[in-house]
This record gives sequence, C-alpha cells and structure tokens, in this order.
Amino acid sequence: MSEEIKEMPDNPMERDKYIPEKFNVLGKRGNKRIDGLRKASGKAVYTRDIVLPGMLYMRIYTSPYPNARIKTMDTSRAEALPGVRGVLRYDDPEVYNRRIPTLMGGEEDILAGYAYFQGQPMGAVVVADTEDIADEALQLIEIEWEKRPFYLNPKDALAPDAQLARPEWFPESNLLPLFFQPTNVFAHGDVRKGFEEADRIIEFDGSRNYHGCPDAEMISGITKWEEDCAELWLHQQHVYEHKWMMNQWFGIPMSRVKINAPYNGGMFGGWNWIDYSMVPQYISALMAKRLGKPVKWLLNRRDDFTFGSLDSMQSEFRVGFKNDGNITAVQLKSYFENLSYEPGLHFLENTKIPNIESEMYVAQVNKGPTHAIRCEQLPPSFALILVFNHVAAELEMEPTELALINDGVDGEDINSLNEFKKEHGFPVRDSLKECIEKGKEAIGWDEKYHPPGTKKLPNGKMHGIGFIWDHEWDETRGAGMAAVIIQQDGTVNVIATRSDVGVNAESTYCAVVAEELGIRYEDVLLRQQDDVHLPLMTPDGSCNLTTNSYVMKKAAKKAKRQLLELATSTIHLIERDVPPAFPGLATDELDVENSVVYVKNNPSVNKPVADVVRDVQGSFINKHPYAGTQNTTHTPVYAMAYHRQGRLGKESGRQRLCRQAHFCEVEVDTETGDVEVTRVVNVNDVGKALCPEAVEGQQYGGTYMGVGRNRSEEHIWDPATGVLLNGNLIDYKFSTFLDVGPIDTIIVETGMGLGAYGTVGIGEDVGTDTTYLLHGAIHNAIGKWVDHGPITPDKVLKALNKA
Amino acid sequence: MKKFAHLNARTLEEAVSFLGSYGGKAEIIAGGTDLLGKMKDEILPNYPEALINIKTITDLDYIEETGQGLRIGALTRLNDIAEHSGIREKYTALAQAAERTASPHIREMGTLSGNICQDIRCWYYRNPNNRFPCLRKGGGRCYAIEGDNRYHSIFGGTVEKGCYAVHPSDMAPALIALNASVKTSKRTIKSDEFFKTAVRKTTVLDRDEIVTEFEFPAPAKGSKSHFIKFAIRKSIDFPIVNCATSIINEAGKVKEARICLNGVYIKPYRAAKAEEDICGKTIDEETADAAAQTIVSEARPMKDNAYMVQIARTLVKRTILACKE
Repeated sequence: MSEEIKEMPDNPMERDKYIPEKFNVLGKRGNKRIDGLRKASGKAVYTRDIVLPGMLYMRIYTSPYPNARIKTMDTSRAEALPGVRGVLRYDDPEVYNRRIPTLMGGEEDILAGYAYFQGQPMGAVVVADTEDIADEALQLIEIEWEKRPFYLNPKDALAPDAQLARPEWFPESNLLPLFFQPTNVFAHGDVRKGFEEADRIIEFDGSRNYHGCPDAEMISGITKWEEDCAELWLHQQHVYEHKWMMNQWFGIPMSRVKINAPYNGGMFGGWNWIDYSMVPQYISALMAKRLGKPVKWLLNRRDDFTFGSLDSMQSEFRVGFKNDGNITAVQLKSYFENLSYEPGLHFLENTKIPNIESEMYVAQVNKGPTHAIRCEQLPPSFALILVFNHVAAELEMEPTELALINDGVDGEDINSLNEFKKEHGFPVRDSLKECIEKGKEAIGWDEKYHPPGTKKLPNGKMHGIGFIWDHEWDETRGAGMAAVIIQQDGTVNVIATRSDVGVNAESTYCAVVAEELGIRYEDVLLRQQDDVHLPLMTPDGSCNLTTNSYVMKKAAKKAKRQLLELATSTIHLIERDVPPAFPGLATDELDVENSVVYVKNNPSVNKPVADVVRDVQGSFINKHPYAGTQNTTHTPVYAMAYHRQGRLGKESGRQRLCRQAHFCEVEVDTETGDVEVTRVVNVNDVGKALCPEAVEGQQYGGTYMGVGRNRSEEHIWDPATGVLLNGNLIDYKFSTFLDVGPIDTIIVETGMGLGAYGTVGIGEDVGTDTTYLLHGAIHNAIGKWVDHGPITPDKVLKALNKA
Repeated sequence: MKKFAHLNARTLEEAVSFLGSYGGKAEIIAGGTDLLGKMKDEILPNYPEALINIKTITDLDYIEETGQGLRIGALTRLNDIAEHSGIREKYTALAQAAERTASPHIREMGTLSGNICQDIRCWYYRNPNNRFPCLRKGGGRCYAIEGDNRYHSIFGGTVEKGCYAVHPSDMAPALIALNASVKTSKRTIKSDEFFKTAVRKTTVLDRDEIVTEFEFPAPAKGSKSHFIKFAIRKSIDFPIVNCATSIINEAGKVKEARICLNGVYIKPYRAAKAEEDICGKTIDEETADAAAQTIVSEARPMKDNAYMVQIARTLVKRTILACKE
C-alpha cells in the first residue's frame, strides 16, 4: 500500500506517475450519471424542497435605497400580523452592531442598520408560519431613513469631492484595500523599455458592465436545533465550513453540527463567498433557538440579484509590439467595482511578453458585492483577449499566428515551458498549436478568414470570424478527503462530503474508484447529500476533479490492496480458521477487473468480488449467502485517503501547460445592430478526459454562459435612485439555446495536466474565455471595435455611426 | 403572493356579473402569464380581491375561416394561431407574430386576448413592491424620463401626463395591419382604436367588459402581410421594436397599405403617413426606405434609445419589401 502512494506526486508540480496503460472505465462514453435521471425528472431534492415538521419561514427586509441609514424603525404592525412568530430587529441586543466571521476570513454585520446598495438584506427579519405571511409582514415595517449620496460608477466614487459610499465600513475613502493582490501595481520587466523597443504602439479602452448570475434554485437554508446539536440544510458550495462558522458563531463544537447538502441550483463560485449567502444561516439558527422550531430562510428572485462578477471594470490599454508580431510591452490601468482580480496576470502566466505593468483601483460603489462569480479569472482573460485581438488587427496578422508567436510563460518563450515539462515528467507537446490546428480545421478557418469588414453575405449581413486563446485553469488547489468501503455484496460506497458543484462530478469520482478498484462502474455509488463528517471534498470550480480524482484514486488503490489481502489471507477464528478465497497465492498474483478477482497468469481461476468479501461467518453457520447475526465477521475493506496539491492554485514556479482555443462565426446586421452567433468551436486541452460527456457538457454550458453574457447580460440601475431595474429573469437577459450556436466541442488530451491521470479542470474555462469571443469576430465583420460589454445592438449601431 | 378569491365563470354573462360584483377590484384571468407575474411581484398599490377565470367558458377557443374572413375566439392560444395553416397562408403576419411571442410554454398557455390586453413592461412600473409609484399607477411622474429609458418610447409620451412606457404586444401590430376588429361583451371595436393609455389601462375596455372574439376581413386579391420582431433574445423576450405590414398589390403597385410598429410608443404606432407614401408606388429598396424614413422622421428619441429609431426604420422597410407581390 505504502509504495503505491509514493507513486502519487508529493511535489505539486509533478505529473501523476501512475497512469494505467489501458483504461476500462475512465475516458469511456455511456457511463450513466448518478444524478441524471433524478435531475431531469424533477425528482432531485433541493434545499428549497425540504419541509420539516413545525418548520417556520424567515424572510429578510431589503433596503429600498442604495446608501442609507435607519433613523427609526417601527415593527409593531409586522409583529401583530397573525402568523408571525418572531421579528428580529437590527437593534436587538443580541445582534446590534455585531459582526460575525464568514468564509474567506471576512466578517459581516448580522443585521445592519444601514445599507450600501438597494436590495441589501438588512434591518429586520420576520419569521412566520408561511413565506407569504413573512413577506406581508416585511411590508408592514415602517422606517424613517437618512438617505445618503450614492455612486454607481467607480470613477465617480473616487472623485476628490465624492462622499462616502459605505461610511460605516470605510470611513476614510471610497478607495478600497485590495483583496487578492498585495499592491495596486502588478509589474514584470520594464514597460518603458518595452515601448522603446516596439515598432508600433496602440491605445484603446474596454469595459464590462456589472453582471451576476442568479441561481436556478433561489438560495435558502434551514437550521434545526436538538438541544445543543444543530442540523443545517445548505444551498452552499463550501458546506463543511458551516460547521466551523457555527462553532465561531455559537461556540458549539463542530462535532455537534450536522450538515445536509441537498442538490443546489447553482452557486457559481463566488455566491458562496458573499456574506449574504451565509449570514442568513446565522440568523435562522438564532431564531430557531429562540422559537424552538426549525427555521428556513429564503431569498426570492429579486433578492437573488444581489451579487456580481469580478469583471465589473473599466480598463485603458497601451500595447507595444514589433512588426513581426512579438509583443514587447503591455500597460493597463483599470477601475473595478467593490472587488478586483489582477487583470494583468494572464500576460505573465500565458505569454512571453517581457514587459507588463497593470495598475488598478477598486472603488466602493453602491451596487451589490462582487466576487469570483463564474470564475475569478474573468479580468485577466478580458485583458489578454482584447490585447491580442487589437494587435492582430493592427498587424493585419491572423490572430492564431500572433498567439503562437507569443505563447510562453513569465516573459519566456515556449521552450521554457518545455523545459518545465521535461523536468516534471510531462510529455512535451505544443498544446496551443494542437488546439489551434484542430479548431481551424473544424471551423474552416483557412477558407473563411478575411480582412475586417470585407465579407457581405447573400442575406445582407456582414460575416465575421473570431479566435481567442488562453491557458486552461490548471489550479489543482484545495484538499479532499474520502473513504471507500466494499459492502458485503461486493458493491462499493464512496464516503465523502461534497456539495453539488460541477457537471457529473459525483459520477466521475465513482468512475475513478471503479477504474482503480476493478469494480463495475454501476456497482459504485457516492451519495453526495450525506454528512459523513469528513471535511469537504474541494468544491472549487475547476479544481473539483483535479484534486478529488487523486483522492479517489488513492482510496481505491488502498481498498484494492485490502481486498487482495483478504482474498489471500486466512481468517483465524477461535474455533477454526476460515480459508481465503485464493489459498496459497500472494496478492501480487491477483488482479481485479469487472468486479471479479482473478489469477493473473490464469484468468479462468476467478471469483466475484462479492464472494471474496461476503460475510464468512454468517455463511459458515447459517448456510445462507449472507446472515446479519451477532456472529458475523464483517470484512474490513475500508480505506481512507487525503490529497492536497497546492495552496491557491497557480503558485510561483508551477506552470500551466495546457491551452484552450475558441473560434466563432457571427453575422452582423448593420441595419439593426443584431449579432447572430452562427457557430462556436471550442477546443480544450483537458489533459485527460475522464468523462468525455462531462467535458462536453462544460463546453456547451460554458459557451451559453460565456458568449451569452457578453451578448446581453448586465445589471441595470436607475441612475436617479440607484434602484436595480432588471432584477428578474425577463429583463436580465440570459441568452437562450437559440441565441448561441451551434457549438462544436473538441477535446485535446496531451496528458499535461496536474491532476490525476494528467487531467486539467474545465469547469470555469470555457464560460470565462468565451465571454470575450465576440469582440474579435465583430471587428472582423464590420471593421469596428465594440469593446464595451455587453455587446448590445445599440453599441453595435453606435460603432457604425447609426445611433 | 397575497390571498385572493378565484371564481370560475361558466358563461360570459357570469364573468361580467362577477366583475360587477367586485366593483373594479377583480381581474380577468385566462392564460395568466402576465397577471400572475404582476401579482407575485406586487407591483401595483392595490391587489385584486378576486380573479375571474374565463378558461372555464367553453365556447371562446376557436379559429374559423368564413367567406367573409377569419374569426378567432378570445381564448385561442397563441400556439394554435402560429400553427394554423390557413392563417399562415392568408394572414401571414398574424401567424408570424404568434410564433415570435414569448416561448413555446407560454404560447401554449397565453391567449390572443391576453396578449393584446397585457400590461406594460416598463421596469419602473414593474419594479417589485410598488417601488416606483408612477403615473400609470396614479402617481406623480414618469421615472423613465430622467432614468434609464433604453426601452421606452421614441415617439413621445402621453399628451396629458407624460408616460413613456411602450406597449409590449407582438400580436397588436398584426391585428392592426390586418384591419381586425375586436368584439367584446359590449361592442365591436376597430383594432387601431382598441388601445388607450390611462392610469392602469392599456385599452379602451371598461372594467366590466371582456373581449370575446377577433374578426379579420378576408384578404383582398394581391394581399401580402409580414411581421418582424427585433428583440435581444430569440425566445422569451419582449420586442424592442416589432412591425407588421399588410399591403394590397395591384398591377405591380401598392393599392393599399397598413403599417404598424409596436414597442416604440405608448400604444401600437400606426404609420399613416408612410402608408400614404407607399401607395401607388412599386415596392423596391428605394420606395420602402422612403416610407420607413417618413415614419422615423417623426421620432423624438429619449437620451438612451436613439438606436430604436434605426431599428424601427429597418423593420418598416423590411416588412414592406417582404410584401412585394
């Protein structure tokens, strides 16, 4: 057992050293999804579906103003409404002026007496017999407000004469401290030198409007107390961490907190980090304690529009390059809303551009919080893609060629990456080149590419073709822990605490276990809803499978060793010995495949796993295949494993080796500004596709999410009042299946991923990068840049001087 | 959602009687796709005390082609109109409009009468919990004037009050272009006189009046009609601009034209001058564009919606061209 574990990388920069030559389960198509039927048929149980005996319903008041403080509040009418069981006010002694710790090391007011964006949960909560009664009671609360100036634009908020946008939290200034970055200038090399070396220099700007991603299942949660034990039902990504938070909030031991993680209709990463997804759980716990009944808290559809992605930003770019396509310097200055992520990062991690300087400012504005909604990498992807689009167009060079010229890392060219590959056990393949070749062929690039604004179609529209590229998110961060147990009938349970994140992740975990243990895929089950008291399998977007596949692999290998030891070892009882299934053989003479243990050099000698693990004592006494008596000797095939690989993902020195390339075609109606996306081709080097359908599912879903949001998604506030105008699923315009596509999905497998079997996560990649896919294609169609997203028809018409 | 009474009407007379008994505090429900959304969000200051369900009236769901034209029952679902072969052939704009309305699910529920009686979509009017007590709710002002008006009227507001919310129906311009009449429990109204803007009103209907039937004259020889919708999404979206045009061609020239835009004004916008312009002319790029230009020359866009003028012009031109003999 121990020597097998040594084959796993201790060095988080190394490749998996134990990759089978032949796969029986992984990489195959047709493995039935564990959650497929129940989700498609509507039978999957979500947090919102849970109803407990005696349960009460909690709704939270939301601010009607974007920056305001409560002067006086009267809740008497709400309290008197029949069916109301409790009202908690912001000035209740138990919560007044109190902040509690939340994930990411932050803290938040339990119930603020002020608001810094319209729609902020604050002020009061009502607990009632029904959700409707609680809602009605909220409207009976009367508040006298002190209304304050508000800001919706970061540059306005940072103006010298601006008043405070969030005075209780930031009484000095609207310029916020940085969260992910140590300083506001990110630099590599010397941009001044880079511009001196350049043959040409261009300047342009681009921006992204605030957008978010309300859940399919509107977020909710339940707390139930049984004496000094708490039980939680969570629509959350980091469910296990709620044990820690309950410990911090109420001082109860984590061992007395039970969590339930039903299916959830989306957390999109960052919603999980935003305090308004956590603090209501505290309040529900508080009210459940006071009222002696389980309390369910719920946000409604409008409440769910409280958060945004990190690429709410305005950037100014300056780029220097040589006539041969070598980019010598990139300089950018960016303004963010409420939180930021370094937009210059991908130039360092993904290219050989030697001189980079990125300056950023984060302003407190009176909009909801922003976080890593649908991936924190949005800002650097936005910057990378816009720069490559513009340089290629200026040089009149094919963008695929420009990408290949500048591929690299840390200012060094692709040879530097190749050295890294050799040193760390990876195959030396040119991932970007492979992706580009496959993508160009699929979309017919060589026949279709044309100079900007030159191809009018028979239908009168202008044809455009676009290309973008980036690295894959080879982060492999976080930790995971799980156990594998073989039941007495030979079936296998994976014991793990996980949340419902990812396409088909629980099925792929089972596939890894089936592969390594030699058990049929359908004999392995992971029920992700159960609290098994293990810390959480990492649920972070693209790290989900890369880290957790190692956990499964390790646990399965340990269990397999135990199985073979059982198959070859005598069980010594007091009265007699029980012979092994394969007497006289050593473990290394046996193997397992398709749920059958067999002798390697004579496979005709074999026994089903079920026969090997069957309860020997029960069958011995009662002559039944299984007997649940006190005399049973349960076979101890149970193994636990843990894996951790890296702290935050892309640490210094650990390079990203796999690339992705995306292509699209558009037809632009120059009379209406309509942009029809007629084709998207996604090429992702995922290292190894453990479940090809799941990879394709991410490619499809990511395209609708990415391309779609740059067509039409944005939060729109009333400039006069700061009230969100489109907090519903009609006016906030997600694209539909009809609006994007058709979509091609191409999988490249170079084996250069840091996850088990050389895999790379794909969960966030496509949805992030394809967000910016249309910019280049539209320029190719009409010869004009539309760099301020979303690319709505008014902006296209404006670029054409028709609006 | 607050509690309300739900009454199943067995006859038209009973529905009218129910409406009368609630004294203006009841609403008619058929498909419910608009009304229930409004009630859930509690956008209005007053909540209906009762919903009068007219789906239980059995004889209001039909499509009948007669020698005089076409009759469609008020409760006919949009999907049935979109798929009806006779309508697709002879009343093309009507089928096209139905096909582009909402989504497949909503078209299976939503009725023709509900579509033309639907309330405005203005995001100030529709903001939950009556956040903006605007003119259309009996309040003091239109918040869109100084707010975000990217989807508001490009042809000005109401004369007397200044509301700039547009009418959102896809079916309305098709009805007007095809010169339909609306029969109600009280009277028959020409479709281009059916729409009227007032506090909590988008039609001329009285509080106790119910739409029962639509009548379309048989298309004259040489008639063609066409509908185009422009929206951000291809499904589940309201129009930024839509346009229906019906033209009678004779000897290669336009004998008669009816052109109606929607989504651009407080009610469907009949383009009378353009209709006159194109009459007697051969339809081509130049004449179609000239007629379209006539319409948009009357436009007075707000600060955020000048782009709608260009789209309206394009849609008028394209629908005219599509009606070329």
